[in-house]
Amino acid sequence: MPKILRVNMTTKEVKFEDVPEKYAALGGRGLTSQMVLDDVPPTCEPLGEFNKLVIAPGLLSGTNAPSSGRLSVGGKSPLTGGIKESNAGGISSQKLGSMGIKAIVIEGKPSEKGSYMLKLSEEGAELVAADDLAGKGTYDVTKICRERFNDKVAVITIGPAGEMLMPSAGLTNNDTEGNSSRYAGRGGLGAVMGSKGLKAIVIDCNKTFDAPVQDSDAFKVAAKKFTKILLDHPVCGQGLPAYGTNVLMNIINEAGALPVRNFSKGRFDKANDVGGEKLAEVAKERGGKATHACHPGCVMRCSNVYPMPDGKVCAPIEYETAWCFGPNLEISDLDVVAKLNYICNDVGLDTIEAGCTLGVLAEAGVIAFGDGEAAIKALEEVEKGTPLGRIIGGGSAVAGKAFGITRVPAVKGQGIPAYDPRSCKGNGVTYATTPMGADHTAGYAVTANILKVGGHVDPNKSDGQVELSRNLQVATAAVDATGLCLFVAFAVLDNPEGVPTIVEMINAQYGTELTPDDVIALGQQILKVEREFNAKAGFTKADDRLPEFFTTEVLEPHKTKFDIKDEELDEVFNF
Amino acid sequence: MTVALLRGEYMQVEVRVFSGLEKFLDQKRFGEPFSVEVQDNWDLRSLLDHLSIPKEQVFTKLVNGKHQELDYKLNDGDRVSLFPPVGGG
Ligand code: SF4
Repeated sequence: MPKILRVNMTTKEVKFEDVPEKYAALGGRGLTSQMVLDDVPPTCEPLGEFNKLVIAPGLLSGTNAPSSGRLSVGGKSPLTGGIKESNAGGISSQKLGSMGIKAIVIEGKPSEKGSYMLKLSEEGAELVAADDLAGKGTYDVTKICRERFNDKVAVITIGPAGEMLMPSAGLTNNDTEGNSSRYAGRGGLGAVMGSKGLKAIVIDCNKTFDAPVQDSDAFKVAAKKFTKILLDHPVCGQGLPAYGTNVLMNIINEAGALPVRNFSKGRFDKANDVGGEKLAEVAKERGGKATHACHPGCVMRCSNVYPMPDGKVCAPIEYETAWCFGPNLEISDLDVVAKLNYICNDVGLDTIEAGCTLGVLAEAGVIAFGDGEAAIKALEEVEKGTPLGRIIGGGSAVAGKAFGITRVPAVKGQGIPAYDPRSCKGNGVTYATTPMGADHTAGYAVTANILKVGGHVDPNKSDGQVELSRNLQVATAAVDATGLCLFVAFAVLDNPEGVPTIVEMINAQYGTELTPDDVIALGQQILKVEREFNAKAGFTKADDRLPEFFTTEVLEPHKTKFDIKDEELDEVFNF
Repeated sequence: MTVALLRGEYMQVEVRVFSGLEKFLDQKRFGEPFSVEVQDNWDLRSLLDHLSIPKEQVFTKLVNGKHQELDYKLNDGDRVSLFPPVGGG
C-alpha cells in the first residue's frame, strides 16, 4: 500500500499514513498542488510554521517508463507568495516511487535552532540531528552522506542559501554519480526547507524500477512503445542527446529572441562561444561528457558533464543557466559560466534567478556587464551572508528595489528565463499568466514559436499565442503529474500516439480506465487548483502581467514590443 | 542571364551552420559566418545544393531570424542560419 510520510518539525514526529482516497490517483505536481491547496493556508507566512513542503514522485516514477523519474516539490513560495511546484531530475523520485511513497510532507517549525536530517529506508524513517552538516555546501553534504551510508543513496539537500532563508534558494538532489546538481530550483523552496530546520533527506534504498504495477505485461508493451515514440522523434532521439539543452543558445540567438544585457537586445555576437556545440567540444576535450542522463532510464539524456579548469565538474550546464550567466551578462567565457553555475549549485541558489539578479545588478552598475570576475565575486558573497549576498539571494525583484532599478525582468517576483517575450510572444503569455511566476517550462511556447514542433505560430506576432500558451500550460501540468520529463512533449506534440500511450502506461500501472480526454481534464484541474490557491493568497489579474518595459521598449532585431492585450491574457484560463 | 550577372555583380548571403551540419562543409566551424555568392534567382534549395548540404538534414532554416521554406528566394545580404532538429528547455 502506498504511504504518505509526514514529518512534523515542531514535534519531531515522523509517521507513515495511508493515502486518502482523494489523493490515490494523483502524483507529482497534481499531488503537490492539491495537498498545498488543501493543507496550507494561502495567506500564511511562507517561512513560518503553517507552510508545508510536499515532495512527490510522479505517477510513473519508479517504473521502467522511459524518462519518468522526475520529482515534484511543492509549497507556498517565499519568492512569489503564491503556490509553487518546482520540478527536478536526479535519482530521488524513482527511489520514492519504488518504495511506494506517494509524498513526503514536511510541516511545522522547530522552536529551537538546529539542523536535522531525515533518514529514510525500507526499514522506516527517522529524524536525526545533523548539526555537523550545518552551513555546508550541497556538494559536501552529498559527499558526506554518500560516505556515511553508501554511494547509492539519494540526498535531497539545501545549501547555506536555504539555511539563511534566502527567497531564491532551491533544494537539490543528486544524479547517479553523486553530483548534487539536480535542482528544484525555482521559487525559494530551499528556504522553506531551511525554515523547518531540515538540512537533508537521505533516501537509502537500492531500488529504481520497483514501483508496483498492476498489469505488468500491458505496461511493458506501452513503455516500449513510448520509448520508440521518443527515440523516433528528431528532437528527443537525436537533438537532445547530441548537445543537450544548450543547443538552444544558437537557434534562439539566430531567431533574435535571446535576452542580452538584461533584456535590452535580442542577439549576442558571442552567443556561439557559450552554446551547446562549444560546450560539447570542450567537455569532450577535457574528458567530460556531452550526453548524460540525470536519472537511470532516461532515453533523451539531455544532460552533460563539464570539467572545469580547477578540476571540479559542473554537471550539467543547462541552456537557461548558460544564458543567464552568459548573454544576459554579456559574458562569453564558458568557464566563467560553469563557475557561476557551480557556485549556485553549491550554495543552493536557483541559477535562473541568480542570473537575472546579476543582470539587474549590472544594470545598476554594481558589477559591469561582461565582467566575469566581478560576477563571480558578487555571487561568492551569498555564502558569506553579507548584505550584497543577501540581496542577490533575494532575487531580481529585491535587487531592483534595493538599487532603484525598474527594468527588472520578473513576474510575480520570479525572474524571466532565456527567451525574450517580445520575440517569443507565446512564452510571454506563459510568463505573465502561469500561477508559478515567470517560468518557461510552464507552457513552453518556444516549441511552436521557434522550434517548429507541434505546429508553427509566428513568434513576433500576437496571433494565436494565447491559445498556444493555454494548451501548453494544460498539457504541461498533466505531464508534470506523471513524472515524465517535460521534454517528452516534443515527441508527444508531434505524434498522435503520444498521449494515448502515456495513458496506457498509467492505466496498466494503476488499473484505471483513463482516456486521453482525462489527461486534459487533469491538466486543467491542476491549473484551477493552483489559481485557487493564488487567488486566496491575494493574487489578481494585475499579477498576470509582464513588466512594463516589455510593452514600451523595442527589441532588436525584429523591432518588437510585447503587445498582447490585458484582456487577451485574462482569457488564458477560460476553461 | 540576369542583369546582375551581366554586370558581374553577385548577390551575397551570410551563412551559418550549427549543431553538426558543419560536417558537410570543408573547414567550417559551427556558427562561423561565411559569405556565399548567389545568383538572383536562387532560393534556399539552390543554396543547400550549392553547399552540398543534404536537405533532409536541415530542419530549421532561419533567414534574418525568421523561419523560411526551401522555396524562399534569397536577397542580397540575407543572414541564413541552418539547423538540424534541435530542442531543449
Ligand atoms: S531529458 Fe534531460 S532533464 Fe529530462 S529526464 Fe532526461 S536527462 Fe533529465
